[in-house]
Amino acid sequence: MKPIHVLMAVLMAAVLAGCSASNMASRDKGEDGQYETVLKSNNSLLYSRLQIAQLNERQVGDLMQVQATLENAWKFELDFQYKFKWFDANGFELAPEGQAWRQLILPGRNQANVQAVAPNPTAARYEIWVRE
Amino acid sequence: MVRLLTIVLVAAMTVLAGCAAKVDYGDATARETVNTDFGSTDLQMIAAKMVDDMLVFPPIVQMTSQRRPVVFVDRIKNKTTEHIDTESITDTIQSKLLNSGKFRFVDMTVVDRVKEQLDYQADSGLVDPTQAVLMGKQIGAEFMLYGNMSSIVKRDSSTKDVYYKFTLKLMNLQTGILEWSGEKEIRKTRNNTFLGL
Repeated sequence: MKPIHVLMAVLMAAVLAGCSASNMASRDKGEDGQYETVLKSNNSLLYSRLQIAQLNERQVGDLMQVQATLENAWKFELDFQYKFKWFDANGFELAPEGQAWRQLILPGRNQANVQAVAPNPTAARYEIWVRE
Repeated sequence: MVRLLTIVLVAAMTVLAGCAAKVDYGDATARETVNTDFGSTDLQMIAAKMVDDMLVFPPIVQMTSQRRPVVFVDRIKNKTTEHIDTESITDTIQSKLLNSGKFRFVDMTVVDRVKEQLDYQADSGLVDPTQAVLMGKQIGAEFMLYGNMSSIVKRDSSTKDVYYKFTLKLMNLQTGILEWSGEKEIRKTRNNTFLGL
């Protein structure tokens, strides 16, 4: 196999791996009690195009409700999936198989709000995962 | 000659191995778009939307802040042209609501078997009367959960468009008042393309 073919195969594998990888955003309470946004990415392409413009939390009764404003910074339409993961104060994920991936198609240079409600009152923090 | 035969043999083995059936597990929560028929992703989207909407509706928040009302799930009327297991949708909604700690449910699908078991405990003479479950102590449902599922299908030579609308309602059995109603709309489109382009 010619070196150029090896290089193309490696590049293709990297691109395909990038397509299936996820991005994650979470909000944690810092030491000062204020929420801090934490972003993690395994998909640099999606990470550069999709941004979280704003995260809002509120208590509805004793359930946490979250709204994330997702922004497509790219000029073309983005078709991706997202899901919320919820954790209790001890870091245990709540209903780990109960949260399905939801699809969102976001036109270029546009924003959309996505919302979710914690599965039960023990939820203390959350993460938003995004993948293509 | 031997070299040629080896190449042919290796090529044949590769082709045959490629034909072998492969079974694997997948992510049950992943997006499923095999065709435009009602699928697992639709079910999960509907259940999530209904539960989230109901749990944050202010009168429901107030009603469930101090107690866990008892609900019974009636059937979802399937008004689409497809066969859809609507009980599976209500089962998922019921599980999520139950696990939220906000509602309790009575299961009307097992009433006959419960009655049979209670009759056995009371009348068979085989169960210690001091340990037997007492008759007439069950709690009646305060609310009924019911709804509709409808669809509009349109197609031409190259496109099929399916629109689903799921409506869920919560009725107070005492007063007949609808306490909450939620809707979820889903649109699925299939375009027949030439050579997948």
